[in-house]
Amino acid sequence: MTKETSSITSGRAELLPALKRELKKNGCLTREIMDTVAGRSGLPLNEIYGVATFYAYLPLAPLGQYVIKVCRCLPCDMKDAQAVIGGIKQELGIAPGETTADGKFSLELVNCIGACDQAPAMLINAKLYGNLTPQRIVEILKSY
Amino acid sequence: MGNVNVNIDGKKLRVREGVTILEAAEANGIKIPTLCHIKDQVPTGICRVCVVELERSRTLVGSCHTPVSEGMVIHTHSPKVTAVRRVIVELMLTAHTGDCVNDTNAENCVLHNLASDYEVGAPRFNVKVPRFYPAEDSNPYVRRNLSKCILCRKCVRVCASIPGKNILSVGYRGFRSKIVAGFDEALLSEKCRDCGKCIEHCPTGALSAPVKV
Ligand code: SF4
Ligand code: FES
Repeated sequence: MTKETSSITSGRAELLPALKRELKKNGCLTREIMDTVAGRSGLPLNEIYGVATFYAYLPLAPLGQYVIKVCRCLPCDMKDAQAVIGGIKQELGIAPGETTADGKFSLELVNCIGACDQAPAMLINAKLYGNLTPQRIVEILKSY
Repeated sequence: MGNVNVNIDGKKLRVREGVTILEAAEANGIKIPTLCHIKDQVPTGICRVCVVELERSRTLVGSCHTPVSEGMVIHTHSPKVTAVRRVIVELMLTAHTGDCVNDTNAENCVLHNLASDYEVGAPRFNVKVPRFYPAEDSNPYVRRNLSKCILCRKCVRVCASIPGKNILSVGYRGFRSKIVAGFDEALLSEKCRDCGKCIEHCPTGALSAPVKV
């Protein structure tokens, strides 16, 4: 292995932990933060951007106080996750990828959250809600 | 390493142990189509068009990344292989948006040529949101039209093999996957120069030399 490739390999192994640390400190991963990580790790910005955009858990912009993550994978989709998304949209007036004007809620669509047995499912921050219906959505959101 | 005996399309061959099925076939004048394969680089097995039938194997195998072993009996163009390749190309065409006649040198597009060799025709599959990206003409050395990209990742790999480069990566996920430069921005000319390697390797019209006016 050349010097360049070996430093890239170790930079890669360290990348996710480094991004998680930055996320904890700053709440999101901005271009400036990724540039700093690039400088430190020896990885190019494009690669860091590629990793950050792969994971729904690595946001690129600040999110609201409560982050709603609706599962968009197949089992949830088959159990009508679309109606759930529609219900949230109607209740909060935001589309996926948006945050309410008061900064309280953000809505995101994510890949499998491991709750297929309770499809359709979503997370609000770390709390799991399963077997959702548009009616239940209203109640759940009211409780926040 | 020694030699092994294999049978490819009825030809009894003695080939060096450790070479891939693709290399053994090519060395003996048997052509297998590839889209993601880069000669002498570590194979990635992404595109699947190089699949072949290997007797006693439950599934077809990717010839670009499967090493030969003693006694293999391989069919590179059996009806089963042809049928599978046809669907693979059809799936790629589904997300390969836009008119080939107007925007690309279709005769240079390997995917287009495979589609016509395998008589693929118009894809049967519908997409919810077409994969469309406006073509990008800002770089003086490379024109990018990512609606045509099949995500074979050859450009990423050849660029990374140039010391001090590595300016392309895959961003996003699933159907939204896209080849990105920097912070998903236009290819900057201070970073990307005129080596032309990515254009040379791109199997589609996604990367091309800008037309000089
Ligand atoms: S731009 Fe061309 S070489 Fe790069 S991934 Fe897309 S099809 Fe492959
Ligand atoms: S050439 Fe073998 S998988 Fe693409």
